[in-house]
Amino acid sequence: MSSTLFIALPLLFGFATPLLSRLGKNALAYTSVLMQLSLLGLALSLLLAHSSTTVELISIAAPLGISFVLSTASLLMVLLFTLLMTLFSLYYLFQRRANAYANESKFFTLLNMLLAASIGLVLSSDIFNIYVFFEIAGISAYILSAYSKTALALESGLKYLLTGAVASIFLLFAIVLIYLHVGSLNLAVIAEQFQLLPYNVKLLISLLLLIGFGFKVEVFPLNFWVTDVYQGSTSLVNALFSGIVVKAYLFVFFHILYLFLPQGEFTLFLLYLGGVSMLVAEVAGLRQTNLKRLFAYSSLGQVALIFVAFAMQNIQAVQAAFFIVIAHSLAKFMLFLALASLEKTEQNMHIDRLKQIDSPFLMVMMFLAMLSLLGIPLFVGFVGKFLLLKSLAVEGMLTLLVMVVVASFIEAIYYFKLMGYMLHKGTRSEKVEVSLGEKMIFVSLGLSLLLLGVFPMSIAGFLQNAAEVLLDQTAYITLLVGG
Amino acid sequence: MNIKRDIPTATLSGFALSAVLVLTLITILLQYLPLSQQRVGDALLVLNEKEGVANVVTTVVVYFRGFDTLGEIAVLFIASLGVGLMLQPNTECRLKAESNFMLQTASTLLFPLILLFGIYVMVYGHLSPGGGFQGGVIIASGVLLLLISHKNFEVPHTVIVAFETVAGVSYVLIGFMGLLLLDTFLGNFIPHDIANMGMLLSGGVIPLIYIIVGIKVGSEMSGIVQNLMQRSDDV
Amino acid sequence: MFEFLNQPEVIKTIVTLGAMSLFFVGLFGLLTRKHIVKVFISIAIMESAIFLLFIGLSFNREKVAPIIDATQTQVATMNDPIPQAMILTAIVIGMAVLALGVSFAIEYYKLTGKTEIDTMNEMRF
Repeated sequence: MSSTLFIALPLLFGFATPLLSRLGKNALAYTSVLMQLSLLGLALSLLLAHSSTTVELISIAAPLGISFVLSTASLLMVLLFTLLMTLFSLYYLFQRRANAYANESKFFTLLNMLLAASIGLVLSSDIFNIYVFFEIAGISAYILSAYSKTALALESGLKYLLTGAVASIFLLFAIVLIYLHVGSLNLAVIAEQFQLLPYNVKLLISLLLLIGFGFKVEVFPLNFWVTDVYQGSTSLVNALFSGIVVKAYLFVFFHILYLFLPQGEFTLFLLYLGGVSMLVAEVAGLRQTNLKRLFAYSSLGQVALIFVAFAMQNIQAVQAAFFIVIAHSLAKFMLFLALASLEKTEQNMHIDRLKQIDSPFLMVMMFLAMLSLLGIPLFVGFVGKFLLLKSLAVEGMLTLLVMVVVASFIEAIYYFKLMGYMLHKGTRSEKVEVSLGEKMIFVSLGLSLLLLGVFPMSIAGFLQNAAEVLLDQTAYITLLVGG
Repeated sequence: MNIKRDIPTATLSGFALSAVLVLTLITILLQYLPLSQQRVGDALLVLNEKEGVANVVTTVVVYFRGFDTLGEIAVLFIASLGVGLMLQPNTECRLKAESNFMLQTASTLLFPLILLFGIYVMVYGHLSPGGGFQGGVIIASGVLLLLISHKNFEVPHTVIVAFETVAGVSYVLIGFMGLLLLDTFLGNFIPHDIANMGMLLSGGVIPLIYIIVGIKVGSEMSGIVQNLMQRSDDV
Repeated sequence: MFEFLNQPEVIKTIVTLGAMSLFFVGLFGLLTRKHIVKVFISIAIMESAIFLLFIGLSFNREKVAPIIDATQTQVATMNDPIPQAMILTAIVIGMAVLALGVSFAIEYYKLTGKTEIDTMNEMRF
């Protein structure tokens, strides 16, 4: 089986959209969901087959050309992305009759392109190829953000596009310098030679990479645009941004970091950068009154938490990072889909609206997601936070440990405020229709949060293996360059 | 007369900041100028003698780094889709005045020549400088010429969509053929005798893909240009 | 008299200085200009600076273009084809993003009449 399928099939569907939408009213939607389901099946079968890391070549042999590396770590991300995208498409199908997007075929094209690009980012082993996928993911996200063409949406799309364009310039600059000094674009070859570069060049390239990816992984001084984008875009699309797009960028950033700097030269700097962005995001989140903006700040905080966990650069912490990635993706997906269900009837997203909504089902589901985000035991969010705190304690990083705990407390304050609003007694006038299909999506997301939280050992081994693979620079080099 | 203007502090500080950043960059770049060394490109040049076509840049773009080009086509495709989505038809913005008779006649006469030149650049992309991107952009420039000279000229939206869909789908399908027959995506599955290098019919799948890229780029660029001129009939 | 200009070090120094001054112009514009179209132009200038830097630094005066024909058959005397292929890709991507950005800006202007980026603050309320 070929890992190229994960990228080429969604691309094919993206290109073929006009053909498919000619076939019938629903042909495009159904075939697209079917394609995503089959990719999910393929990913699951690869997971069960327990195969070792495989390299898929494009045209010519590895160090010269482009190749895709499917390891345990990248398989985990592929699985997560295809699962979330399938659930997203299903959710969209179930609520489509009430709330279809204008120009629906274009919407599906963008979804498939986004899926192809996020998987490509994770699998590719060629830095210029990563730049191309970086741009595909970016450009489809800009359009998705501006899709509804209101002033708000266009403003958020413009902000997203401007920051993305600046980020891509810095990334391209870094790639140019890498090629000029190393003479190759293959990650493994660069990893081999990177240590031999003069210190200043190494520092410059690392800084340019940090700026380029920093915009996309939403790290502190470069994340000013995030909340505006979340507030301007529809909640439906926000689910994709916080569930898939950021995670792909985070993964590839740290993948490159581990390969180029295996000794962890900038670890301390990155750790404190993550810690500061976490605190800033949570403090700023305290006084928000718009639900979308509030969840955007919470996303920033959680992403910074993942950033800290990845930046620790040891196996336990990276395993914790994977746990938090899964927990955050599932929970934020649920919250934003719940907001999307609320958004169907009214655009107003003030937190007071939670007092009026009469839909016990949605309330319970949002409650579950918030509990997991807070890291309450029995939820998978707890496992991630616990493992991270443990590994911070083992490493003796007490300042950071305090920072994480404080940030979690601040997050708890506003989530408890929201829960208070949801439990508010009084007349609840606003009915929200949630169809059976939508309910099934919510229930499956909520159940997976609970099940993974109660039985974390069921995936702990897999995640640990993924962390080992991701951190192992020499194995990656041997795989691609040979002995 | 005092011609000195007050320069805002924001401008001054921006100037200082960017100057400092760029000076640091220049210092580091000049300190370690990358001079001659072994690069991957040299290995590809050697490999090209066995598998490539006469224009090595084409081999690199289409074959050795074929997935980049596929991704790039995808970026262009999404961008043209986005431009079409954003700029809805707006008849009021059409050009008001009919342009000069000379311009109209000249552009009508020139257009077939531009089209021919674009196709030539596209088809000979594997032998001479040029290729799909360049050819496609030349064709789009011809369309632009007609758009600004003729008040009511319009490439039908369905034609553009048909071209870009067929080109995009066949690109990925060629990739899948390579995967099926040679076990690598975008593999060169059409027999290509290296002795024919320099002939029009050589290089197997490479000129074919570059022509597809040309069609795709030409139709998408024409679509973007047409939409930016506010003449979209997108429904 | 000007033979010293042919030395690769001198050429590369000139290319670096030129490309970086272009980069400076773009960065300065990006940091200080407020009009959305000017910001896009600044971004385009920065991109071109990087393209120029890459092509200029990877180019070798003594070698020829990487096209095999009747007179040129020795690959050892040819320039590296990868930078040209990469820049070709990067130019198209940059153009696509700019076209999209301009279309966003046009639509935004039609709705709100605003062109300055520091007045784009519908979110604050």
